[in-house]
Amino acid sequence: MWSTARDVAAGDLVIVWQTRELIQPLLITPGKDFNSRFGYYRHADIVGIPYGSKVGSRNGRGFIHVLRPTPELWTMALPHRTQILYLADIAFITSWLDIKHGSRVIEAGTGSGSFSHSIARTIGSAGHLWSYEFHEARANKAREEFSLHGMADIVTLTHRNVCKDGFTVEDTVDAVFLDLPAPWDAIEHAKKALKKNVPTRICCFSPCMEQVLRTVSALNDSGFTDITMFESLLRPHEVHQIAPQPLAYAIEKLKKSEQKREEKRQNQIARSSKRKRDDLPETDAENAGGKRFKTQESAGDDVRAFDIPDPVVDQPANQPVKMSVSKACPEVRGHTSYLTFARLVPAAPATNRQ
Amino acid sequence: MDTPDCENSLTTLNSFKETTIQSGHTVLLRLPNGETKGFKVEKDATVSIGRVGSFRANELIGQPYGLTYEIQGKELTVQSPRTLQEVEETDATNELINDDEFVQPLTLDEIEALKNSGVHASEIIKAQIEQHANYSLKTEYSKEKYRQRKEAKYSKTFSTVEPTIYNVCDHWFKKDQNRIRDIRPDTLSQILNLANIRPGGRYIVVDEASGLLVSAILERLGGEGRLISICDVDSPPAYPVMTLMNFRKDVVTKIHSSLNWATAQEDYTPASALPQELSSEVGKSDRHRIRLDKRKIAADTLTNAREELFAGEYDALVIASDYDLPDILENLVPYVAGSGSVVVQSPFSQPLTELQSKLRFNPNYLAPSITESWLRRYQVLPGRTHPTMNASGSGGFLLHALKVYDDPNASRVPSHRQSKRRKKEANEGDSSTPQTLESYDARELEEEDVIVADEEGQTSEMEQPS
Repeated sequence: MWSTARDVAAGDLVIVWQTRELIQPLLITPGKDFNSRFGYYRHADIVGIPYGSKVGSRNGRGFIHVLRPTPELWTMALPHRTQILYLADIAFITSWLDIKHGSRVIEAGTGSGSFSHSIARTIGSAGHLWSYEFHEARANKAREEFSLHGMADIVTLTHRNVCKDGFTVEDTVDAVFLDLPAPWDAIEHAKKALKKNVPTRICCFSPCMEQVLRTVSALNDSGFTDITMFESLLRPHEVHQIAPQPLAYAIEKLKKSEQKREEKRQNQIARSSKRKRDDLPETDAENAGGKRFKTQESAGDDVRAFDIPDPVVDQPANQPVKMSVSKACPEVRGHTSYLTFARLVPAAPATNRQ
Repeated sequence: MDTPDCENSLTTLNSFKETTIQSGHTVLLRLPNGETKGFKVEKDATVSIGRVGSFRANELIGQPYGLTYEIQGKELTVQSPRTLQEVEETDATNELINDDEFVQPLTLDEIEALKNSGVHASEIIKAQIEQHANYSLKTEYSKEKYRQRKEAKYSKTFSTVEPTIYNVCDHWFKKDQNRIRDIRPDTLSQILNLANIRPGGRYIVVDEASGLLVSAILERLGGEGRLISICDVDSPPAYPVMTLMNFRKDVVTKIHSSLNWATAQEDYTPASALPQELSSEVGKSDRHRIRLDKRKIAADTLTNAREELFAGEYDALVIASDYDLPDILENLVPYVAGSGSVVVQSPFSQPLTELQSKLRFNPNYLAPSITESWLRRYQVLPGRTHPTMNASGSGGFLLHALKVYDDPNASRVPSHRQSKRRKKEANEGDSSTPQTLESYDARELEEEDVIVADEEGQTSEMEQPS
């Protein structure tokens, strides 16, 4: 697949990491430039540096990291042509289907190739992936990508509707992965493609429960067993540093503000009796002072660990202790698809009993 | 076993792992109650699986994994795979069935007598159903459950479980999840993908999960590539998880080396120096020479493994350990190639949280992220689809980061310009404000130079967009 050399060479596909949200592939072509919000770079400057290098822009507007492509990075960087599969599902499916070095696998459809890249990496050159896509333009784009990424030997891409026309191989593969709107129409075809003499596996990827139920009946009717279904998600956590303040801090602060209020009240009484005496209006300066005091108080209500402790209150004995804490990110992907799995076990296996 | 033949077959898949059951394999058997247990299958021996019965091991040898058998006498017959049965909807309810009612006149002794008479499990269940006072009142769903419960009890069937890493992990997770550091199959699969494990790759692993990670990586390498594991005992431990994988030992030896924390140090010197080559040649007894040869081989293996580790450029580092994580990283990350993955597993969030808060300001790590895996299994019987009642609480936590090479010059310029622009915008006193919210993550690292005071560092945390 992609380069395994230490350094970037001309013609390599690299992943340019700008921010977590801005990750893009780049084909290193000396003579060309790369421009982004984070400055301007010459491809030629990237040639010969080790993968993983931080590169400063030529116009001093920022920097990028030049990374070696992996299927996981590719999933984050790839041009979306369809809804794609993400790490949690890809990893789990790979594992349940026992896809590994040398496995022979079918996937339909190819989509944007997120799953295909991961499978090609995992099976290596000893394995093979037959990928089917019914959308011609997408199939061509994916074929182009596979060949550009050095996967042409591992992946055979066919443009066809497998629900109608079935697969191109028989009694050949260890595992089938169906990411189709109507997987039940492809299950009999899948059965033909799976190896006959050893137990094999299938996974159907469907977002809706109604699809799952139809798939389960179809799998059952075709003789698949051990039918089971999973939902898998990754919950990202964000890390914060907090330092819980000693209560004494709040107590002192409240006492002080009460004291200040009391002083102010006393002042007002003094002033009003003076005003009564002198019949003079309140000055602007005093008014403003009162307001500022109030805003300070409300800021204090928002008790954050990040407030700089009051030097008067803060004694070394009750110095806040910093700690790292984590919580699940507030907005996360809540559902991708249901993963329906089943096995196909040969009814009368070819035995070579000793 | 170091024949050239073996060398050639290295690249062929079947040599790494047999697809059929062989004498000497430890085979996982799924019993009628759903439990899985490991049994050693040795030629001409008898395998005894408790209540279910016993059989001759030779019956299994040469068979593909994953089939279901029934024990009849000492013989095995392959059962055809069972598909799901539609359950017919009826009007029955449990309206007339009272709890704690005496319903089964068949006594334990009678059942025992039936069992001893050697009748088939289905006969016993049939007898029980016939005697059952309220069976006909049950709903069809309830009847089905009853039959299944009885089958789990009397059936003399079992299945061989294919030693896939998923099945082996699942077995250990159910049997004793502490011993594999609570690594659930889904979490394990994420580790393998995040670490970019591929045939031919080179990896370093710190495995305190009974060999689960070592086994999983070896399985994915499939005989091609390299794995160095670092352990805290003198010599490589016998990994209990690996036993169930039934790898070919000679192939494993070729791709897997082991060092311990002492020998993995570059300044380590063995306590006793090696004997000179000369001394083994002159006038020594055979036994002495053999002993010397053995020592030499061991010493060479060690030297090679050390040299290999120190040569670096590994594709990834995978860690599941109770030792101080920053310490481990400081020791081993130098040997990881640029852009290589660092994956750290923990059943607890705190160690990873601490680690993340250290790495995020370290310019040699890119985007350290913590995830928790979530998995829900469903029962998908026709008309009875729902999430399973028992689920595991958590799949544990992972930290993933990429190793990168810092370039201080690459950051100094933009920082400088940034501060100039900031002055122009009169945005004083807030040195850690990123140019834009989106650029925050990229800025994060460079700001290490800028931020000196701790308080400011904390302020910048507050501003991080989620």
